[in-house]
Amino acid sequence: MKKKVLIALALIALSAIGYVAYLWFMPHRDIQATKADAEVTASTLVDEFLADAGAANAKYLDAEGESKVLIISGEVTKIDTDQLGQKVLLLKSNPSDKLGVSCTFTAETNNQVSGVKIGDQIKIKGVIRSGAEYDEDLDLIINAVVEKSSIAN
Amino acid sequence: MKKLLFALFTSVSFVSVAQEKLSTTTGHIKFFSTTAAENIEANNYKAVSAITPETGKVVFSVPMQSFEFEKALMQKHFNSDKFLDTKQFPTAKFKGSIQNIERLNLTKSGSYDAVVLGDLTLHGITKPIKQNLKLKIENGKVTGYSNFDITLADYNIVLPSGKPTEHVAKTVNVTVDLNFNSTLTASK
Repeated sequence: MKKKVLIALALIALSAIGYVAYLWFMPHRDIQATKADAEVTASTLVDEFLADAGAANAKYLDAEGESKVLIISGEVTKIDTDQLGQKVLLLKSNPSDKLGVSCTFTAETNNQVSGVKIGDQIKIKGVIRSGAEYDEDLDLIINAVVEKSSIAN
Repeated sequence: MKKLLFALFTSVSFVSVAQEKLSTTTGHIKFFSTTAAENIEANNYKAVSAITPETGKVVFSVPMQSFEFEKALMQKHFNSDKFLDTKQFPTAKFKGSIQNIERLNLTKSGSYDAVVLGDLTLHGITKPIKQNLKLKIENGKVTGYSNFDITLADYNIVLPSGKPTEHVAKTVNVTVDLNFNSTLTASK
């Protein structure tokens, strides 16, 4: 009887440790391995946020930050590098559009865009962080932010 | 007639003065919380910021879901409606101006301590803040740096009592680190 109780307690202890370990070492979301939730053009996405930011936030953002994975198509209008050395591509459906979708790559996917030039038509998969807006009060152009990007085919 | 036309021409022609507007879309914001239980750090490399030197106007827009933590679970808690509710409030904003703008000379290399006064909107709450922004001009490049504290309760960021309050400090330290691009804008 005592042995059975000890085994039961050991199993409970192990599962508790296992659960804590799972929480502690919970892996970050692997965007590249995640299937895209939707495919949009840069201007469609921008227009959705401009038309109704509240509705667009509810549609695309997740309460815990695990927001929609999108494939965005557009023309490359700007190529930048952020402070981590990650490449940032600004996509617009038309270069004359005021707002676009800013897509940041990762250390692992940076080499995918080494040959990309301004004017290239491209499809990028990434996770959305925030939508596009022109803040009149701040007089600031705010492009939609997409991160963990990779080239989609 | 010629004299009149000449006088008219010189009086209506404008001199285009190129003013540099400083901007960045890759600003780095770090927040750091320390308690007896643990230290928590989050980094965001997507801050958008612009400074208009001629007016001293300073603005920021920060996508909250771009804050990254070492622990995935912490990142989820940060975004949840128990903490920063980033689905409801996806961007933090700042609008203010440099108080001692006359001391600023962007054409000269050096370091300037700009005093910035303005409104910070975080978690849907807007509060006035006054902080220092150190602007450094070196080889034609302008960088900005600031370090200050934010009291979470000021922005209605209140954790449920118990364990969470032991792990997150009531006041967190924020570091702002900017590499500006300058765009020449012609103005009259």
